[in-house]
Amino acid sequence: MGVTVKPDLKKLIAIAALVVFVALPILFYALGDFPRRSVLKEAISLLTLVALSLMLGQFFLARSNMGVIELYNLRRIRTVHAVIANFAVSWLLLHPFLVVVPRFFEAGIEPWDAMTMMLTTYSSTGIALGLAAWVLLLVLTVTAIFRIRLIKALHTKYPRWRHFHGMLSIALTTFALLHAISLGRHTDTPMATMLIVVSVVGVAMLLRMYFPQRAGAPEPPSAPNVREQAR
Amino acid sequence: MTIQHIGGCIGCRECVLSCPCDVIRMDEAVNKAVIAYPADCQICHLCRMYCPVDAITLSPEKTIPVVVSWG
Repeated sequence: MGVTVKPDLKKLIAIAALVVFVALPILFYALGDFPRRSVLKEAISLLTLVALSLMLGQFFLARSNMGVIELYNLRRIRTVHAVIANFAVSWLLLHPFLVVVPRFFEAGIEPWDAMTMMLTTYSSTGIALGLAAWVLLLVLTVTAIFRIRLIKALHTKYPRWRHFHGMLSIALTTFALLHAISLGRHTDTPMATMLIVVSVVGVAMLLRMYFPQRAGAPEPPSAPNVREQAR
Repeated sequence: MTIQHIGGCIGCRECVLSCPCDVIRMDEAVNKAVIAYPADCQICHLCRMYCPVDAITLSPEKTIPVVVSWG
């Protein structure tokens, strides 16, 4: 009589997600051929990369990924989605300010002058893309925080808001990725490839749910009431 | 090597204007600063200090050895 070892699928998927969305960006960062700077600057860069990667991972913690929802249940996935959003979104919203933070501790251009110059260099496509992504992220965050009020005020339904949230996140991801690839100090070929692949798969899953082409495409679960769904 | 790397340039031209030795030039095709004459760098750190996005990395040496006639 042998003992069958059933692999804990939940743990395996959690570990795989951590490897893809946390360990892989750190690995590419560590292996990248970039001149290292001060600990503060490198820590800010690394945390920004992880935040971006985790933000892309949000596509896989949505109703488009029904396999994961069925495995863990919707409430838990929603909690993880919210926790990651709190960390990653907060960090990415602070990103323009964090870029100039080291200037407080160095000689040379003042932090606010650096910020002004950065935000007014319109000749750079990368900066314009970054500004667009930042504004979209702000809109995404505000509309997510006040979603219940928004749904009531606009007399709409929760699935419609979800659709808006998803489409906005696709636009944001497009701008953010182009910004990261254009201006990112650490987005070399392996890092950029990883970010693009993760984004394309995540966006494709979301679009497949929104625009099912054939029978068998995953249907989002129906919403019994707005408050319960939006909580 | 003195000036090592420019990564994440936003094309504001501050480094080009601040460099006293004309080491950095703009690549107009991509609107980014490039290290054109690295051998001329005197490690004055002005480009690094005036870069708003901290895109420029210099070698760790603070100065280059000064050549004097009396050794």
